Amino acid sequence: MSEPVILVPLDGTEQALAALPVAKVLAEIDRAALHILYVGEREPPGAELRDRLAHGTPVLDGLTIYPRVGTPAAQILQVAREMNPRLIVMCKHSGAERGKMLGRTAMKVLHDAPCPMVLVPPERGAMPWRLQHVLVPHDGTPTTSAALQGATQLADRARAELLVAHVTDIRAAPTEPGSLTTPSYVDQPQHEWPAWSSEFVERLACICPLGHLHVRVFLAHGDPAAEILRLSEKQSTDLIVLAWRGRWEVPRAGILKDIMREARCPILVVRA
Amino acid sequence: MTKAASPPAVEYQAALDAVDLPTTPTVDSDWIMVEEGFTLAREHELESLFAIGNGYAGSRGSLAEGSALSAPATSVAGVYDSAPGSVPGLVMVADWTRLSATIDGNRLRLDQGHNLEHRRILDMRQGILWREWRHQDGAGRITRLRELRLASVMDRHLLVQCVTITPENYSGRVSIDAALTGPVALVTSGGTNVAMAVAHRVVDPGGHSIDSTELVDGRQSLEVRLGETYRLDRIVALHTSGDTGEPGAMARTHAERAIEHMTDVISEHRDAWLARWGASDLRIDGDPAAQRALRFAIYHLLSAANPQDDRVSIGARGLSGTGYKGHVFWDTDIFMLPFFMLTYPEAARALVMYRYHTLAAARAKAARLEYRGALYAWESADSGEDVTPPFVIAPDGEIARILTGEQEQHISADVAFGVWSYWRSTGDDRFLIDAGAEILIETARFWASRAEHEEDGRYHIRGVIGPDEYHETVDDNAYTNGMAQWNLEVAQEIADLIAERWPGQWQALSRRLGIEAEEPRGWQRVARDLYTGFDEQAGLFEQFHGYFALEDIDLASFAPRTAPMDVLLGRERIARSKVIKQPDVLMLVYLLWDRMPAEVRKANFEYYEPRCGHGSSLSPAIHALVAARLGDTALAERYFRQAADIDLADNMGNSAGGIHAGALGGLWQAAVFGFAGLRLTEDGPEHHPNLPASWRSLSMRFQWRGRWHELTLPEGEGRNCRTGNDP
Repeated sequence: MSEPVILVPLDGTEQALAALPVAKVLAEIDRAALHILYVGEREPPGAELRDRLAHGTPVLDGLTIYPRVGTPAAQILQVAREMNPRLIVMCKHSGAERGKMLGRTAMKVLHDAPCPMVLVPPERGAMPWRLQHVLVPHDGTPTTSAALQGATQLADRARAELLVAHVTDIRAAPTEPGSLTTPSYVDQPQHEWPAWSSEFVERLACICPLGHLHVRVFLAHGDPAAEILRLSEKQSTDLIVLAWRGRWEVPRAGILKDIMREARCPILVVRA
Repeated sequence: MTKAASPPAVEYQAALDAVDLPTTPTVDSDWIMVEEGFTLAREHELESLFAIGNGYAGSRGSLAEGSALSAPATSVAGVYDSAPGSVPGLVMVADWTRLSATIDGNRLRLDQGHNLEHRRILDMRQGILWREWRHQDGAGRITRLRELRLASVMDRHLLVQCVTITPENYSGRVSIDAALTGPVALVTSGGTNVAMAVAHRVVDPGGHSIDSTELVDGRQSLEVRLGETYRLDRIVALHTSGDTGEPGAMARTHAERAIEHMTDVISEHRDAWLARWGASDLRIDGDPAAQRALRFAIYHLLSAANPQDDRVSIGARGLSGTGYKGHVFWDTDIFMLPFFMLTYPEAARALVMYRYHTLAAARAKAARLEYRGALYAWESADSGEDVTPPFVIAPDGEIARILTGEQEQHISADVAFGVWSYWRSTGDDRFLIDAGAEILIETARFWASRAEHEEDGRYHIRGVIGPDEYHETVDDNAYTNGMAQWNLEVAQEIADLIAERWPGQWQALSRRLGIEAEEPRGWQRVARDLYTGFDEQAGLFEQFHGYFALEDIDLASFAPRTAPMDVLLGRERIARSKVIKQPDVLMLVYLLWDRMPAEVRKANFEYYEPRCGHGSSLSPAIHALVAARLGDTALAERYFRQAADIDLADNMGNSAGGIHAGALGGLWQAAVFGFAGLRLTEDGPEHHPNLPASWRSLSMRFQWRGRWHELTLPEGEGRNCRTGNDP
């Protein structure tokens, strides 16, 4: 079996390098090869390219760089289809401003990526990264459970703790059979809450095996994105995993967009 | 009033082959719950809904071959154990339902191959769980399996499973694995021995048992021929040291004997269920959904009851799951007991006797808190000691202290109410003299010592939790005080009654309990001067001292919602508001209906109903009942549907840990005491019906003071129901 690959597109900006500390840890966890991809208008000589991408630092030493010529998003997707990477890890955008959701290239790649994608906030810079606490917002549906398999395997391999957060949609329960949301009746909390948490985890685990993961379940209500971000800050999570059903137009993906805009930690987007 | 119509006929096959299952499923849709197909994530719910039980033991309706979300569990009523540092819970014994078939090396599973048909049927009329499955494996082999499973109500120690297997388009080798998994013998930390023994046999297509030594441990290989049916029978016998000195030997003998009479065991069980329905059924014409919901309620209540053992009671989830650890709450005395009192008095007697057998623990709890008399456990297991968990990790990750075990003291009056209701309904004077009176007196003594005489000249009960658990440590909870007042008065009346009718027994009881001649008069004084929170001008009870000054939150502005209000508002905010979890004052109105003028009932319903968040599964049924009695049938019907949906429309995991036995009892009460308007008065049963428009008729039988009555609505008028013989 060939070695798994993690693909890291860099565009030559210093901000884009924020993806590297995250990608390196993920590659270590997955025992994957890290492939750097640069897409430019022309193919530069190797030494020049390494200097241009690394901004004079040794961060790219020992890594293979794949230069391509063409439109960045199209080439990243093309390479991704060729290499079949386990993950694409890239910076959300290479602008300096906080609160920007996604750059144009990242957005196009996210739309059509053939694999899950980790989006890293540029403000992380070169800060070292670790994977100890993974936050998984979950709407309680089997579809989301199925989408999370790769993410929970990653967390398991990293021996990270899995924090599963269910934010109640008070107006409507999911209609998908087998969904689990906030109980309508809590007769005796001393029995109901442990039972509910356990049921939530077991329903997740029957579709998405949790291995030896240590799992904690949190229930919240209110604005889902705000609650997820609050919990992420409070629990100092290293990664937020978001299951995305592939629709981007308004009013779809509102939670994903809000979290993408504000999260301080990397976000792993998996397709549901 | 006309005689009740006969229940719909059950269709049986005219003739069964010798190898076929010994009976066939009921086909009338009013009697069955059917689940077609397979949705893995719903398995825990379905296991609860499809549980079988006989009051001695209960088993969840898990898939025989298991799945990634199967939680098979069999428990024995009243057998609890606990790990160090945790509260006791019902013990789970070996999984006797586990059975898998492997065809030429490929194990049959729902998640592999192609399921041509898959159906589970809870046959409430016969007390049988059926399964029909046609499976096609990757090689195209089609296998048909049919299964029946039951917990015998004729011989409560027996659990039965029969499975037929038919290769439809192949001949080959089938391996059956029916080995028990889990402990077949165990000893609890309290010293109770539980033993399970199993007997199997395999029947060939000619109807003959196949000789096999291999089968002893539940494994058997067969060469099966295309189109021919084979059957595996399995009988499990369960005994405990509470039944016999040698449970292991008894279980082995019992199972071995029973397997020889398998067909009789099944037909006697079926006949016993049919007879039980003859007494306990409630027939609705015109509303199939309501009919099925009521039969579902009755089925699960009956499955949890055992008139032969008065040392066990029914936990909040019956024997259908591990939820609530099998603990017994007021659900039993207030919500379930009326069904048994009126349709199965022998089972009701066992339930009230459980409270008598646990009276010593209730006395000890009162003494520990420096009160007299008996304070029953909020959560009770085998001994009657309070087993309420003291803490919970809340869903926000915080650890919350649980105060119900200390403060939800209305349980003592609830137990007394159940005892008195049972006696009044059955006329079981023997019970009153031997057990009931002692409970009524000891609970009254508790209230007399619990209420404090204060400067205003009134007695007050401070620092309690009422049925509305959103408000803790409150003073003068209307329900608690109202029921305490009732308890004190009734105890005094019963003392007078026994002294007058059975002076010898009264003297003996007085001596034994140390009752001074003046003590019953003292209870009367406390009752008279007990603060009730009733505002004469408004005609309202204040739910507790200070309630009227709390923040009013418009619950309508949250509608529609799917989450309980305490989750949305948080514990602190809800405690500062008028939002209540479940009927509190309205519970008092319901239980003490005849003591309150009509305008008081109405005023309190109009005030408290809009403020109720229905955070408890016990809430909607009582609202349905009271609304129906007040004549608001449309509102009552809405609440009735809500109550019926608690288990049956569950797609949210509420029932994963077991069915809501209290809510099911409440649903039955909403139909009987609400829509049918049955009222049990000193002069006999009366009815004041308010049937929903779609209910063309309601008919039922009930027993009142030893005589069976038949009630058919809406025909007929008057207060006297038709009486008759045993059904």
